[in-house]
Amino acid sequence: MSAWLESAIARGQDNSDWLAPKRAHALELLSATKWPTRKTEAWRYTPLRPIERSKAVPVENQTGLLPLAIDGLNAIELAFVNGQLDKVQLADTLPEGLTIALGSELSPEQQASALQEFSTIKPERHLFGLVNDALVNDVVIVSVEENVKIDEPVRISSLLSQGAESHTRVLVSLEAGARLTVIEDVQAQGDSLSTAFVEYNIAPKAYLEHYRFALQTGSNLAVGGCHFNLHDHAKMNSTIVAFGSELSRLDTDIIHAGEFADAKLNAMYLLDDKELFDLHATVEHAMPNGTTEENVRCIVADRARAVFNGRIHIHKDAQKTLAELNNRNLLLSDKAEINTKPELEIYADDVRCAHGATVAQIDKQALYYLQTRGVSRAKAQVMLNFGFINELIDLMPNETLAEWIRPIIRERFAQMEVM
Amino acid sequence: MTEQIDKALAREYEAGFVSDVESETFAPGLDESVIQRISKMKGEPEWMLEWRLGAFRDWLQMEEPDWALVDYPKIDFQAISYYSAPKSMKDKPKSLDEVDPELLRTYEKLGIPLIEQQMLAGVAVDAVFDSVSVVTTFREKLEEAGVIFCPISEAIQKYPDLVKKYLGSVVAKKDNYYSALNCAVFTDGSFVYIPKGTRCPMELSTYFRINEQNTGQFERTLIIADEGSHVSYLEGCTAPQRDENQLHAAVVELVAMDDAEIKYSTVQNWYPGDEDGKGGIYNFVTKRGVCHTNAKISWTQVETGSAVTWKYPSCVLKGDNSVGEFYSVALTRGRQQADTGTKMIHLGKNTKSTIIAKGISAGKSNGSYRGLVRMAAGAEGARNFTQCDSLLIGDQCGAHTFPYVESRNPSAIIEHEATTSKVSDEQMFLCQQRGLDPEKAVSMIVNGFCKEVFKELPMEFAVEAGKLLEISLEGSVG
Repeated sequence: MSAWLESAIARGQDNSDWLAPKRAHALELLSATKWPTRKTEAWRYTPLRPIERSKAVPVENQTGLLPLAIDGLNAIELAFVNGQLDKVQLADTLPEGLTIALGSELSPEQQASALQEFSTIKPERHLFGLVNDALVNDVVIVSVEENVKIDEPVRISSLLSQGAESHTRVLVSLEAGARLTVIEDVQAQGDSLSTAFVEYNIAPKAYLEHYRFALQTGSNLAVGGCHFNLHDHAKMNSTIVAFGSELSRLDTDIIHAGEFADAKLNAMYLLDDKELFDLHATVEHAMPNGTTEENVRCIVADRARAVFNGRIHIHKDAQKTLAELNNRNLLLSDKAEINTKPELEIYADDVRCAHGATVAQIDKQALYYLQTRGVSRAKAQVMLNFGFINELIDLMPNETLAEWIRPIIRERFAQMEVM
Repeated sequence: MTEQIDKALAREYEAGFVSDVESETFAPGLDESVIQRISKMKGEPEWMLEWRLGAFRDWLQMEEPDWALVDYPKIDFQAISYYSAPKSMKDKPKSLDEVDPELLRTYEKLGIPLIEQQMLAGVAVDAVFDSVSVVTTFREKLEEAGVIFCPISEAIQKYPDLVKKYLGSVVAKKDNYYSALNCAVFTDGSFVYIPKGTRCPMELSTYFRINEQNTGQFERTLIIADEGSHVSYLEGCTAPQRDENQLHAAVVELVAMDDAEIKYSTVQNWYPGDEDGKGGIYNFVTKRGVCHTNAKISWTQVETGSAVTWKYPSCVLKGDNSVGEFYSVALTRGRQQADTGTKMIHLGKNTKSTIIAKGISAGKSNGSYRGLVRMAAGAEGARNFTQCDSLLIGDQCGAHTFPYVESRNPSAIIEHEATTSKVSDEQMFLCQQRGLDPEKAVSMIVNGFCKEVFKELPMEFAVEAGKLLEISLEGSVG
């Protein structure tokens, strides 16, 4: 066991709030957990040394940090500053049918029912999920009432100051037929450490549009998870854009707990310098007639490392499932590294499942073609890289967000050192 | 239809195991004295004993791997006997009349000649079969070409320099738990050396190797193809083989020097156990080859037997322009579990590898493909293509794919694709419409599914493999 985990366990001991039973359970599991090494399958390509060495500490001071403005976006801001919900930034009035509340401020009955849901979607195998269970200050609960459609997106930002350690947790519930857009966003200054987990419970016929942006770079250590539970005829569409950091790890779990659920996940990561981004995307088809479509694209430059593990698990009863995973990678430098592992685990026969993975560099002929048309080599590289990623940006349902992120991505490519 | 499936799945394999205890069999248990006794029995030189003991000490420090998707009761390594002398003639069945008729029926379906049937069923053959003359002509021809093909125990005596140089050079002693165990206790296996520029005049098969009885449990094979040589090696056979040992932990090492080519084909059809998977063979094999400049190693396997298979024939593409290939059909039924695949380690420039893996799961079985493609930083211009397809027959089986793809060279190109589906209703309908009964139709579709792999097998092997699949699937579909 590492000193870091030991100290986390020790800090988790004295908390006796409403989450106490869940915390106790997490601590029990944690004390039985071996600290991951190279031989631990889930952390095979992502060494945890930076976390062991981290000097980040919880910071009480919350002022002065604001989420980046997104042009034309009219969002309901839910900002965590160094792990604490910043109530000042929360709007006074919310659209009808939407509630946002802190778990500690709920009535005992409401707390009891929140406890029923808390940490049930997030699987127990996530080590830092357990750390989050034990160390999180409080849980923010977002819920949308039956058949209510919320037009404004809810933006959950996690803002970290230099050297801060933060643990944030949100529980989002969409009741039957509800519709909601959630944007998760992390903005961290150097030497910080964060665990950020969000659980989504999507009731029958409800629809969740989801975005997660991790565009901070540098020496931030970020471990997080998005966990989705889909009931009958529920739908979700998720887009993840990440730039990586010294250590970034994201676990997504999509659980088809009802029939005829539909999930789409498009993830792209663009890594430069010495950045690392590790996405573990798991899909559990527990019920029949579900569909899943996943597209994951990586561009890795300089000495960066990309890790992807895409697991599709079709349970025995999940007949008539359609599941597809497509993973394409571009390696731009001879010091960069890509490790990818698309997995299929299938126990039902009447299903159609496929995955594909490719690793290559930019098509030399395409590059040559552009150069013969008078485009400089550097510019041609940016164009081709951008085109590769833009295919997924085009699939983003929210035009405002797509318009906002395109120039950011283009700028990113312009800065990348290419061979 | 379900009835038909149930009936087919209930079909028992009655190859018949004999478990007489021989007088020369070691008492169960494993310690250094057992290894010393094995080494002494084989009349091995001192360095070989030291090598074995070193491996044993490593093995004691190692842990049994648990990452494969297979489930079996813990093996008690102290309950295994590590040496048993070949069965004497008097204990063997005197003629085919004493052999299980079910087994004979299978042989007949496979079209195996009578003489071979007797060998396979373990009948005391030399009385009826003129094996000596066959083997002698065979040996003469190989000697003429300068090819060495003998039991590895003989090679340790006769060619110690070659063995010393290459044994453990591809699969290190400590490579994994089972390979370390094999190093410590292996009793025999094959040794092949093809001299420079020689094309081996015939396909080498364990079938013709003399003195090969009871080497099955911890078999050790070492094949060295010197510069510019070529050899094709066949292992196993399509007929269900009688075997007394439950745990098999073989190690196969291939060395392909510059411009050499080794083709290694396996058909494995060991006892898969009864309906509940009891008593079947555990097949934990380490197979690996190293390719020097312009060399090529091609693995082809048809795996239909064993209760648990744990096998990853691999290529280390060390030399520039070297080529690695892996073609596999793995069929599981009943309670069989197979976790098999390959590793292609690209180190040299312009190295190429192709992986075609076909998995067919029926009954309550589980089949997994587990593979690794690694492009090292020096693998300039390297290329890999991987295709893994799984076919599910019945709703109680599982088919899984775990490919690891690691690239550190931007000019390397890797493509991986995998699909899983069942035999399509449309295909079945079309075949039946043309007058084929469902069984024939499935067999035809499955054969088509495996065609890419079968075409890599030597001719007669391919024909047998096709038939083997047909028999294994008999009735299990409708």
